[in-house]
Amino acid sequence: MKTKLKQLIVAAVAGAQFTLPALAADSAPANATQVQIPAYAAADPSGNSAEAAEIKSLKQQVEALVQKVNALEQQRGPADQAATIQDLDQKVRVLARQRENDQDAAATVAKAAPKLVIGPGGLSASSADSNFVFNLKGLVQVDNRSFLNEGIVRGSDSFLLRRARPIFQGTLYKDFDFQFTPDFGGSSVQIFDAYGNYRYRPWLQLRAGKFKVPVGLEQLQSDPVTAFNERSLVTGLVPNRDIGFQLWGDINGGVLSYAVGFFNGVGDGRNAANQDFEDHREIAARLFVQPFKNSQNLALQNIGFGIAGTWGNVSSNSTGLANGNGFVTDGQQQFFAYNPAAGTVVANGDHWRLSPQAYYYYGPLSLLGEYAISDQQVRKGALAADLQNTAWEISGGLVLTGENASFTGVTPLHPFDPRNGQWGAFQLVARYAELDIDKATFPLFSNPGTSATAAQAWSVGLNWYLNKNIRVNASYSRTTFTGGGGAGTTAPAIVTRQPEDTIFTRVQLAF
Amino acid sequence: MKTFLKILLASSLALSAAAKEIKLLNVSYDPTRELYAEYNAAFAKYWQARSGDPVTISQSHGGSGKQAQSVVNGLEADVVTLALAYDIDAISQQAKLLPADWQKRLPNNSTPYTSTIVFLVRKGNPKQIKDWNDVVKPGVTVVTANPKTSGGARWTYLAAWAYALETNNHDEAKAKEFITKLYKNVPVLDTGARGSTVTFAQREIGDVLLAWENEAHLALKEFGTDKFEIVTPSLSILAEPPVTLVDKNAKRHGTTEVANEYLKYLYSDEGQDIAGKNFYRPRSEAAAAKYAANFTQLKLVTIDAEFSGWAKAQKTHFADGGIFDQIFQP
Repeated sequence: MKTKLKQLIVAAVAGAQFTLPALAADSAPANATQVQIPAYAAADPSGNSAEAAEIKSLKQQVEALVQKVNALEQQRGPADQAATIQDLDQKVRVLARQRENDQDAAATVAKAAPKLVIGPGGLSASSADSNFVFNLKGLVQVDNRSFLNEGIVRGSDSFLLRRARPIFQGTLYKDFDFQFTPDFGGSSVQIFDAYGNYRYRPWLQLRAGKFKVPVGLEQLQSDPVTAFNERSLVTGLVPNRDIGFQLWGDINGGVLSYAVGFFNGVGDGRNAANQDFEDHREIAARLFVQPFKNSQNLALQNIGFGIAGTWGNVSSNSTGLANGNGFVTDGQQQFFAYNPAAGTVVANGDHWRLSPQAYYYYGPLSLLGEYAISDQQVRKGALAADLQNTAWEISGGLVLTGENASFTGVTPLHPFDPRNGQWGAFQLVARYAELDIDKATFPLFSNPGTSATAAQAWSVGLNWYLNKNIRVNASYSRTTFTGGGGAGTTAPAIVTRQPEDTIFTRVQLAF
Repeated sequence: MKTFLKILLASSLALSAAAKEIKLLNVSYDPTRELYAEYNAAFAKYWQARSGDPVTISQSHGGSGKQAQSVVNGLEADVVTLALAYDIDAISQQAKLLPADWQKRLPNNSTPYTSTIVFLVRKGNPKQIKDWNDVVKPGVTVVTANPKTSGGARWTYLAAWAYALETNNHDEAKAKEFITKLYKNVPVLDTGARGSTVTFAQREIGDVLLAWENEAHLALKEFGTDKFEIVTPSLSILAEPPVTLVDKNAKRHGTTEVANEYLKYLYSDEGQDIAGKNFYRPRSEAAAAKYAANFTQLKLVTIDAEFSGWAKAQKTHFADGGIFDQIFQP
């Protein structure tokens, strides 16, 4: 019994030590029972009647106390728990809401931040509202020309930096585009493009500055994506770039494209100087139709055909004649010149051009053809003539690795990555072109002994597109001549003595 | 050739003009979405009947201060309908898009309707919030927006300050202490009044939302009177959200006439009825009488009488380094 009493007292004291402080923190009821354990009850359990009575009393007090503690715990426990849970729930909700607000604020800041992107398209920077967009692109072409026919007169083998152009483009206030393209590849720095363009609608745009005249189809194709290193003989009869303004647009998503412009006027194949060489203007116009562009039929989607032309007038100026006063081969060797035995030939009078043109792309297959007439009035002293030169070409390509061909080039499906067995895209290309000089040119306006009366060029090549930005190509061109090749050493007779056989290679970086 | 090109260009431009649609952009403060959704439809119908031209009104909503800054930064508002005149003054001063005396151009200081600040509490009002002094008690969680960005939050702050002055013998130090306690009870500061309503009503945070009167009514309408109830404090502030034309933008867009009519129509019988229906206190007596049951009568102080105008109130309380910055640290 004494053992049991001792155990009871110890349990009561121990329980009170745990429960009483908690109750005190929660404002323990004013009538909480205080249990006093006499010292002799714990130290000397001898069991006499006085002690037994006291023990009984103590036991009753402890039981009452325990009951009170139990009652209080039952009252406060669940309520405390509920309050704690609610408090925690609110804290979690507050944190979640703060996070929502922070995310909204971050999104607002991100919207206001300018964007900078570097990728296959070059460097692009844009303000948050897209009112100011700037693009930096570039084109570098490193060529090799190797002329065959060792021992016979031939051109100079050379490496050359064919094009080295930073291209600055941009758009202001969403509708005003600009482009500035200097070229450092030739013997002197030239400005190739410098224009602004206002887009009222896709079908109505106004361009002003220096840019490609809308005539030759191959000429209009972008430099990085032409099939061969050099454009065909046809390009010798159409203008390159000129200064002026042009109204143009694409109707119905490009089903019909039109352009009509006024320019300073430029000789065949020329890139205009930065100011006019005389005071007449030249009109250029082009219509190009892709009637099935919006069709679901893939075989018909990329059929395009059109016609372009120019009309102008030149007053007694040799700059109005073709580039370099003549025409060159694929190897850039001159085979014709306005070089009569005596006198100087100048452009004098009307000059018009007409060029029907077409292309077709279907899957890996590409075909492009154009015909050009350049009719120019010339004069030498008192002599005048209306000379009409013509040229045509047909070129085709086949992408061997399954990618689609297009007027804007080939994009490899599997960019070059030999470690993973990816080799880029390969394309076979071939071309045939002719240029015929008006028979009336000879002999009064050109020396038949030194200038050819016609040239015929065929070419084959392989283009390797490593990725969207790097391309390597190799091709072979053979140009034969009609006429020329006379005994004199005066250029261009040297060229026309034998066919020109040239191997071209190129490494190109475009972004 | 030249003549042909001129004809081509003129025809193109004429075609474009015939196809032109009148579009207005109304940049407004946060809680007016429902008001202007209904008002815009009514105005479009009115304008079509009057002029034969269709008009489309787009809305932008957000904290009043933020919205004003957006217009300064280039948001092409034809009209602004913001929470307080100070925000429109900022557009005039910083961006010179409208004249400084813009408020005189329309009746009632260009304020076609008014509002005030009330309390929205949980159903049954478990924390027994009856007046401003209950809101500052420990253990009460208060939801309100950031006075730096929200016009409604600035009205709220000033209403609380006015109460504190009234009950402390106009002791500014005690008022500051009161406001400090109030914002100690605020766990989340949304950028606009609508955000605060979302926090309180949808995210179920807080014991009391210090809200635009119309916002409180809309919350009851949307969530049900079994979820919340409105408590009207003993004192609040007369909130006068003004409206005005953004002259230079409207002129550039060719919308000045329509935009002016859009604002004037707010004062028409239909405009005032729509305001009352959406729990804004109409200016017209007829509409005010019709919707009187929605609006409890209470003591309302004004910005001019209590705070000497918005310019002084903004400088004292809400500018960088002002009293709000001194008492609230995020």
